[in-house]
Amino acid sequence: MDKLKQELGLFFKDTQMDIPEADRLLVSVKKEQIISILKFLKGKGYDHLVLISCVDWFKEKEFELVYILTCYPEKGHIILKTRISRENAEFKTVIPIFKNAEPYERELHELFGINFAGHPRLTPLFLEREYKIPPFRKDFDTRKYVEEVFGPIPPVEETE
Amino acid sequence: MDRKDVKKWVKEPGKMGHKYSFWVVYFCTGCGIIEVPPVITSRWDAERFGIIPAATPRQANLFLITGYVSLKTLRPIIRTYEQMPEPKHTIGLGSCPINGGMYWDSYNTIKHLDKYMPIDGWIAGCMPRPEAIIVAITHLWTLIDKGMAKGYVRYREQYKYYRANQEKVLGRLEWPPLFPIKELKAQNG
Repeated sequence: MDKLKQELGLFFKDTQMDIPEADRLLVSVKKEQIISILKFLKGKGYDHLVLISCVDWFKEKEFELVYILTCYPEKGHIILKTRISRENAEFKTVIPIFKNAEPYERELHELFGINFAGHPRLTPLFLEREYKIPPFRKDFDTRKYVEEVFGPIPPVEETE
Repeated sequence: MDRKDVKKWVKEPGKMGHKYSFWVVYFCTGCGIIEVPPVITSRWDAERFGIIPAATPRQANLFLITGYVSLKTLRPIIRTYEQMPEPKHTIGLGSCPINGGMYWDSYNTIKHLDKYMPIDGWIAGCMPRPEAIIVAITHLWTLIDKGMAKGYVRYREQYKYYRANQEKVLGRLEWPPLFPIKELKAQNG
């Protein structure tokens, strides 16, 4: 892991790297670098994309995309993090590098409203209804939505 | 057979036969289905009470909904219920179909299942023990004896209400109304 960290530092500048525990490498990069860094890591043997996830940083008005890669012979995990703007949530697709990114990106499109440019089909995946605000965003008011759609929840009196 | 029951058997043999032979559709919506295998196999052996899993909903007369109901599963639940021949009964297992349970503020889980289809009885708990299913069936026997387990009649009579609720959550339904809605307008006023 230390060797890989040094190589990444040589090839990609302005990256913050950290090893929180054994066989884990945490890399924060700019959003322009993500495609090239994924290609580089795939060449190094990290050829399995485990998951693409997203964190909504509401106060900072940013989405944080998290890519987790693993390598079976070395048993190491690399966690790539990048920030994109929240209001204009657009990003490039990584399907040309990792084919299995397709359902993850559809899921993020549906639940967070992120547009992935170049994705072949951004159609609904899980949800049955259409939502004005995608439901996993922090400004989606679940209680108000539940009262509108499913009817009010009767209050419960607590007795002792 | 209990000697006290002889009168009932002579009076209403069809009802008694129906009561002691429940063919059940176990709808595996959530975690509740994990309680069902011990019930139908040798540990609790529900077949002693005449409770057998049915192969298809068209041969069943008891519908057990085990666990939370998301919007996507509500659609097949309604379709399954409408396929079952009358007389039919429904039981909701667990606290999630009753009032949402731990999904009370979830955006994609329905809260009160009895708005969308008639329910004859609830088994509360998270999770209920497997014995609770057998206890619920014995309660259902009492309800049938008293003529109170009339969920399917309610569905037929109040179909307009149920259909409106279903369309409110699911949007447009692909299948036509099971019962004519126009006639019911006159009945309900």
